[in-house]
Amino acid sequence: MADRAPSLAEEARYLHACLFRAPLDAVTVARYEAALEVGHALACPGAVNLSVVSKVVARSLDAEAVEFALRRLDLGRDLARRMQILCYLVEVQPAYFGEFVNVERSRGRAWAGLLGATLRSAWKLVKGEYLVRRHGLV
Amino acid sequence: MDWFDLIVVGSGPGATFAAYGARGCRILVLDVGHDAPPSPELTGNAYELRRGETDLFPALIGEGFESLRNLWKRPISLKLKSPYMSYIVRDWERVAPVASESFEGAISLAKGGLANGWGAGVYRFTDRDLAGFPLTAAELRPYYDELTAHIGVSGANDDLTAYFERDEGLLPPLRLSDFFAELMGRYERLRPLFQREKTAIGRARLAVLTEPRNGRAAYDYGNLEFFRPHDPAIYTPAYTIDEMVRAGAIEYRSGHLVTRYRETEEGVEVHARNLATDATEVARGRKLLLGAGALNTARIVLESNGDYQTRLPALDNPMACIPFFRLARIGEPLAVHDTSLAQLNLVVEDAEWGEPLQASLYGATGPLRSDIVFSLPLSVRANLVWTKYLAPAMGLLMLFYPGRQSPESYVRLRPTGELEVQFAPEPPHQLERRLIRLLRKMGYVTHASLIQRPGSGAGLHYAGTLPMRAEPGRYEASAEGLLAGTRGVYIVDGAGFSRLPAKNLTFTIMANALRIGRRVGHRIGQQAP
Repeated sequence: MADRAPSLAEEARYLHACLFRAPLDAVTVARYEAALEVGHALACPGAVNLSVVSKVVARSLDAEAVEFALRRLDLGRDLARRMQILCYLVEVQPAYFGEFVNVERSRGRAWAGLLGATLRSAWKLVKGEYLVRRHGLV
Repeated sequence: MDWFDLIVVGSGPGATFAAYGARGCRILVLDVGHDAPPSPELTGNAYELRRGETDLFPALIGEGFESLRNLWKRPISLKLKSPYMSYIVRDWERVAPVASESFEGAISLAKGGLANGWGAGVYRFTDRDLAGFPLTAAELRPYYDELTAHIGVSGANDDLTAYFERDEGLLPPLRLSDFFAELMGRYERLRPLFQREKTAIGRARLAVLTEPRNGRAAYDYGNLEFFRPHDPAIYTPAYTIDEMVRAGAIEYRSGHLVTRYRETEEGVEVHARNLATDATEVARGRKLLLGAGALNTARIVLESNGDYQTRLPALDNPMACIPFFRLARIGEPLAVHDTSLAQLNLVVEDAEWGEPLQASLYGATGPLRSDIVFSLPLSVRANLVWTKYLAPAMGLLMLFYPGRQSPESYVRLRPTGELEVQFAPEPPHQLERRLIRLLRKMGYVTHASLIQRPGSGAGLHYAGTLPMRAEPGRYEASAEGLLAGTRGVYIVDGAGFSRLPAKNLTFTIMANALRIGRRVGHRIGQQAP
């Protein structure tokens, strides 16, 4: 059965949830939609392949894992680009400041965070490679 | 009909100081001249602004999503893409197009040129740097001194004086961040090792005020260099253009793209496209000073000669960017007051090159993390965590290589008006590994696999398309800047550079243009009735 193509708002909320804990606000959703309009106008015709993004969202796949696996294969630029747009849009919001900037001196928390993130990243790679194969994303 | 003593093309460092040197003559400056937009939200410093209540989307991303442009288009410097800084490169791809598969540089049509987004590094050329030029450091020295007094240069006479020349007119250097103060302390303890390695580190010399001067405020460590144009402390030639306009020293006509010139019995006719009406307008004068930037000046000269065959040489400084980390600083909070300007310089003598090479050392706190988070080797969330904790513990060593003459580095005009621009790629060099070893000995972590190499033309130090020679041939200029085969067309920008050492060229463009402008102006003054 074919996947239902998600709306851009659904896509924004889903991809955001894969990266950040807070719910995505309506203003950022609208900015995400507008950014993609600008991007489509600038992109070369035929350069945009949305099937991976649609499949990830429609099947509720782990976008972070899939993006990492595809990036390692030098594929899936559209998924990375859309996640990067979300990163840009939230990075300039005060509510996300702590996600991007360390504001308190804490060596232990920093090293624990780095270790945890690295181990988690290895797991995401394994999971992403499985999802890419399982769902035929390349 | 308007008649001028001098017509100056452009408003970058060369054009501006050629006009400045010739003050007293009747001068017309023709320029496209996009101006910096006001940026009222960006007062204070980046840290507090981003932590505050203001929605910074319009200022940091832009209603036209300017900061996202590298996602869709050929990448350009992060400093040229944010909403208020993108005016520096506005329209150039349409108005002054380049045909190249690999070009990752940019051309500026803004008032003040690319120097609106520069790192403000101002370095005097020594006689070693000027090898191949038909002029000496002593000839340029009075002009460097005059510029230092005019624009304000901060820095120090320190271990780098042998490479940058002594300068008694310097303002105090910028305050170092904790990261670089520690690095400087480590260097001082290891100085004998560095001397054996023929390497020295010292304070950056910057066209940045650390004390108020001429109505301009001192630098406030706002760390907004990637987002806010026209920080009053950071010099741009646009300030001098405005000053000359206010003083009535020049007539400044913006919105005009000069396409070609023609010499006549009386002087020179300059043809410019009025970008508002698309009509061609002709200005007439006795002499023409071309300072549209090395690429556009070459375009104008080739178009004026109807030459769509000749390949002119082109130079740029290839770069290698080496990130390095101080693990003991992981977990430190980001500083509230900081800078994205170069804090230190490193100069290294290298046998392979036979001349000193220069690097600038920067912090990594200025750009948005989103610019790099998908370039790191882990998953996105892991990369976010790493950038968050590494930023206060990270430095960037930006190594410049000399511009190399090569048949693969050239510009050529196509009949369509596009300029073919090619720069030969620079391979990795052993020197990079040598610098990595030195950084490790200082206690920093880095690895050759982390080196980033910005693309072709990304150095933005374009030069040498119409080089000065003692005995100039076709498409070369004399030591006075006079283009061979012309009676009154002078090259006053980086196009006239005979070679390009591994040192920021802007200060020397300014000094040379001031020299040429003053001499041409003086001669016109002598001929005046």
